[in-house]
Amino acid sequence: MSLALTGIGVTSGIALGKVHRLTPGELSLPEYYLNADAVEGETERLRRAASRGQRFLTSVSERIGESGNETARELLQAHRLILRDPMLIEASCERIEQDRINAEWALAQQSEQLQDAFRRLDDDYLAQRREDLEQVVQLIQRELADQPAAVLGSQIPHRLEDTVLVAVELSPADLTILSQRRVAGLITEHGGPWSHVAILARSLEIPMVVGVHHAIELLEEGESVVLDGHYGAVLVNPDDSLERHYAEKQAASQRHRVELRQYLSRPCRTIDKQKFEILGNAELPIEFERCVDAGVSGIGLMRTEYLFLDEQMPDEQAQFRAYRKAVQILDGRPVTIRTLDAGGDKLPSALALTRGPNPALGLRGLRLSLSVTDLFCQQLRAILRASTEGPVRILLPMLTSVDEVAQARQLIAQCRESLRNEGLNLDPDLPIGGMIETPAAALNAEEMAAELDFLSIGTNDLIQYVLAIDRQDELVSHLYDPTQPGVIELLERITAAGRRHERPVTVCGELAGDERAARLLLGLGLRQFSMPPARVAAVKKSLIEADSRACRDIVTRFRADAAWRRSHRLLEELAEHGGKS
Amino acid sequence: MTRVPLKLINRLGLHARAASKLVQAASAYRSQLWLEHKGRRVNAKSIMGVLLLAAPCGSDLTLEASGPDETEAANAIARLVAERFGEDE
Repeated sequence: MSLALTGIGVTSGIALGKVHRLTPGELSLPEYYLNADAVEGETERLRRAASRGQRFLTSVSERIGESGNETARELLQAHRLILRDPMLIEASCERIEQDRINAEWALAQQSEQLQDAFRRLDDDYLAQRREDLEQVVQLIQRELADQPAAVLGSQIPHRLEDTVLVAVELSPADLTILSQRRVAGLITEHGGPWSHVAILARSLEIPMVVGVHHAIELLEEGESVVLDGHYGAVLVNPDDSLERHYAEKQAASQRHRVELRQYLSRPCRTIDKQKFEILGNAELPIEFERCVDAGVSGIGLMRTEYLFLDEQMPDEQAQFRAYRKAVQILDGRPVTIRTLDAGGDKLPSALALTRGPNPALGLRGLRLSLSVTDLFCQQLRAILRASTEGPVRILLPMLTSVDEVAQARQLIAQCRESLRNEGLNLDPDLPIGGMIETPAAALNAEEMAAELDFLSIGTNDLIQYVLAIDRQDELVSHLYDPTQPGVIELLERITAAGRRHERPVTVCGELAGDERAARLLLGLGLRQFSMPPARVAAVKKSLIEADSRACRDIVTRFRADAAWRRSHRLLEELAEHGGKS
Repeated sequence: MTRVPLKLINRLGLHARAASKLVQAASAYRSQLWLEHKGRRVNAKSIMGVLLLAAPCGSDLTLEASGPDETEAANAIARLVAERFGEDE
């Protein structure tokens, strides 16, 4: 019998496949940051696991012996070569040292990067080598799991191309593993559309529906499902015609993605010749690499929170290495590094004491940094040191008043001075910008623009604060609406302030990566958009085919006409009449 | 440092067995060995690096060797390439 479940769609994709219910414990490829003194032991642990893997392969090939078939021997030989490939183990050890992450995590990241390189080559033979690589990585992960601390969920099928996974909830780490195993789609009982997992699923382009109540109870192992990420629907046991309909839809969207890719190399100009700029949002090295591949002109938002999520705070050197790595990958394009934006929904355990009764309104972002100046200066010094390797800009999060800007500027000046005394040649004009994401900062945009070198609009928090909606709260997340007049007025205000003071204004929140909302931002006069790499092609197409004057007219009409405002059709109108398509 | 130009004349280029043979030959030397093709530079002891060059028949590559046995290493690899990796014509 057919059954339809509904939840919240977080990606626009469609998945068809068989249900696999994830039981807790299946997915636990551990990911953690290391203390400085644990780094050496960890690289050693990885090397030992690799040599155990090597011995295993040798023993298998000895067992095959001379009589064994040629194909098996070649396969084993290929695996042995991969296993001792410096691009695998040595490069993973470098990741352990540089990013201070555990072996499983470093190996998974390195493997993902290599697989990505293979995928780009689009060659059948090499696609097969990618599978060999996956198998070798599995082998090493299993060897690593012999350690009591580490358990790799080997019960999960190795390949999940035709599988839709159902879980109570998933962590970003889980999602990374599942994405490596090419999962078709994901269903979770918990989670909202703007949770970290949802954001990650969007950036990895995995069809996902969250907030499907009782999914685990209602879906049976092996059942066929169609997952429609756009409508947030899960259709169980679809009949033939429905399944055909969705298979066609899926094929069409696949073609669309291929089509979109051609926009990556086109110049950033609207049909009425307005130039715009596409920047990337990234935190891990692989994301920086993806940004470069997508042709961004720089990084508009480098988040640094991931460095701090450990028990132990990262020291200056560890931070410096992470920032320098980003600067190196960007190879001359500017990298905007946001200082620690902790508090709210993410707080390092070492700073747990700073958690007040209402984290969203508490000691967070720059406020937190200004209250622990030792920690803040450590980060500033690391950023300033990285700036000697390429263009870097500092971005201060969660501003509410210009006093905070003055305090931060003073600390930056102090750090610069101390580094100069240590003999470092620093750019005295390193741009310092601020995130406009509280209503207070937006209303005071004029003064903010005067005090800062550039502004960056964090739409996620701004909208959340303006509408008084917690986007993680399933009960109100449907009220999250960027076209609310109050939101649009503030966006307009910030843009106008930037223009008057000749300060660049970037949008780096989710809105910038949404092809429909991008036209709204264009209509408001914004020209710099920063987004995850997976969103670049779609947004670029939308903007290249937009007429900025038409978009401006539509937005102006919307702001002036109360009756039209109530029709909630602004984004549709912009899509239809804001340009060519 | 020793640099030698290489031209791939075997039918399949740096595919499958050829890449594997090249890496195995390179790994026998202590010197650092690099292969360059169309601006891409990879460690010649890395099977994945060599495969990712995706160099077909007719490609021009440069081998760079530096270390205690760089001349021997460069010669051995140049010979392997010139001998079509032992493939039939």
